[in-house]
Amino acid sequence: MITQVENPILEIHDLTVSYDQNPVLWNVDLSLPGGKLVGILGPNGAGKSTLIKAIMGLIAPTSGYVKVFDKPLNEVRSRISYVPQRESVDWNFPASVLDVVMMGTYGKLGLFRRPGKKEKDIALKSLEQVGMSGFVKRQISELSGGQQQRVFIARALAQEADLYLMDEPFAGVDMSTETAIFQLLQEMTAAGKTVIVVHHDIHSAMNFFDWLIMLNLHLVASGPKELVMNEELLRKTYGGKLNLLTRVTDMIRQKDFNPLKS
Amino acid sequence: MEDFIYFFTFQDPSIVWVVLGITLLGIGSAYVGTFSFLDKKALLGDAISHAVLPGICLGFMLAGEKNPVYIVTGAFVSGGVATFLSSWLKRNTKLSEDTIIATILSVFFGFGIVLLTSLQKSGNPEIAGLNSFIFGNAIGISESDLMLYGGLSLVIIIVLTLMLKEFRLMVFDPEYGKAIGFPMKAISFLFNVLMILAVVIGIQAIGVVLMAALLITPGAAARFWTDQLNPLLILAAVFSVLSGILGTYVSFVLPQMPTGPWVVVFLSMFALISFLISPKSGIISRYFSRKKYLRKTHRDHLMKALYKAKEGGKNGLPIEEIYELYPYQKAETNKSIKYLYRSKYIVKNQAIICLTEKGISDAMRIVRLHRLWELYLNESMNIAPDHVHDSAEQLEHLITPELEALLEKRLNYPTLDPHQETIPRENHDLR
Repeated sequence: MITQVENPILEIHDLTVSYDQNPVLWNVDLSLPGGKLVGILGPNGAGKSTLIKAIMGLIAPTSGYVKVFDKPLNEVRSRISYVPQRESVDWNFPASVLDVVMMGTYGKLGLFRRPGKKEKDIALKSLEQVGMSGFVKRQISELSGGQQQRVFIARALAQEADLYLMDEPFAGVDMSTETAIFQLLQEMTAAGKTVIVVHHDIHSAMNFFDWLIMLNLHLVASGPKELVMNEELLRKTYGGKLNLLTRVTDMIRQKDFNPLKS
Repeated sequence: MEDFIYFFTFQDPSIVWVVLGITLLGIGSAYVGTFSFLDKKALLGDAISHAVLPGICLGFMLAGEKNPVYIVTGAFVSGGVATFLSSWLKRNTKLSEDTIIATILSVFFGFGIVLLTSLQKSGNPEIAGLNSFIFGNAIGISESDLMLYGGLSLVIIIVLTLMLKEFRLMVFDPEYGKAIGFPMKAISFLFNVLMILAVVIGIQAIGVVLMAALLITPGAAARFWTDQLNPLLILAAVFSVLSGILGTYVSFVLPQMPTGPWVVVFLSMFALISFLISPKSGIISRYFSRKKYLRKTHRDHLMKALYKAKEGGKNGLPIEEIYELYPYQKAETNKSIKYLYRSKYIVKNQAIICLTEKGISDAMRIVRLHRLWELYLNESMNIAPDHVHDSAEQLEHLITPELEALLEKRLNYPTLDPHQETIPRENHDLR
């Protein structure tokens, strides 16, 4: 059940990704329309984060390609914003909330130029959007999990991009924050931005997303929520890994090289 | 004392040069070192500093004399080879990073010592100066050498200042840097170059064995005092420069003393002092704040006991009965009573101790928090009533007014706790 669209904002063509020689995503082929709130669903180890990282070019794919706004990634990086997993950084790093959010402006600034007043204003505005205005000077080590997550989202907002890729932005976030962030994301898509979110909670996914991508090492479904949210597809997504696929993966791992690489 | 005045009034131009050189060196190495400390790459600095020794010896062999340009180049190349090798091994083998670093450090240093020993046997009269590269000798450095080392330090300082934003990104979130299109590989390559340079500039003043200390210790010591990057860098530089100058002074007064070990002694002193007395994370302040907290909990418990006596219809408790509540803690109990008496929370009525109005209101708050928490555990977390007391005994001292308001709202302003005791609020009638 894969719905392809005309003039996609994001096109993933036959993408296979491996870590070392462990294939974690098989032949993902999908296209997404603009202005939608897109959820990526799947069990642990299904390759959700890997898909996002491959879209951002952080992992080189074994085969296949990604096009964003109908262009190769490197030509449109300034229009794409990325929110990594909260645990991927050391929050004991000596920095204030403002310091981190300012990093969102680095991309447009480029190398060597220092952020100034304009960048600071953008950062403050982004903090206001996520309801963290009261924490501008706060040390990042003193933040709660939900606050750290909001700082990361503010940093992404400061990039002023058109496409947002967020890796588990709701992990460790309480209910009221989750709802507030979802509302913010819906406002963004209403304004024409596209937001892609890795998510694990099916219940809230049903309420908030317009479009769903279901993954379990391979692409199970991609389409409007009404079309793909059904029991059969959910069972295919969450009903355990395909036995045969796991055995093939093991076989490949035991080789001395990656046979999938051309 | 005369030496002290002579040294620190800087009458001797050669001392001025040495101090200037040490200052630049200190700032440069502290600057680079703080970043590598934050990046958790402290061991790599140690490996590089040991690994430059063979390069120094080879440089000497090629030049046939103690030519600083040859030696610095040799050191830089050999440090570079070691760095490259360690990242190559990490990428292409399954060895863990600590194994790789330990191996590189010992192999390169061992090879360096072999070269150094064979040079010493060669009978070249210039060889005497080469030993100072092991433990360093700041006083023996000539003016032209100082120009070279100082110049390199300046290069490090300028590059790091210009690229503060890029290096901050490299340490905090390199993946994000890659995502916004920054050449993170080139940035970390440049950082490695600066790191090797920082080792190289210190080889003559501090020596290869201890150079890692000058890289890492200043940042580690300064980290106790601040949570912001810029003050951290400045403070690290201050520690490093002070230790450098003091170490140089010792070598000046006692010429047989090598500089490196003394610099490390002073650096360790700064680190130890920071570890002990820094107001936020020093162990002494942590000890006192814990002690203060324990005293407060003791007082809270005492007031609670008096409040419960009042609930039971008694006006107060005789002091002996209070002592019995806290066996073996008579001194502590006396202290608490004294404090509460002075702060007008309790009064002594003949031999009986009872709460004042102010005391009742405060004790009531503690009892209320205790019982609210018990009820919360019981109602919202399904914990049996006989298991909730211990947790409440701790949490009653911690719950803030905001949390209290949340609890009240969540539990809908309850009247009874899980043990059917009243949850008291202001204006509660104690009979």
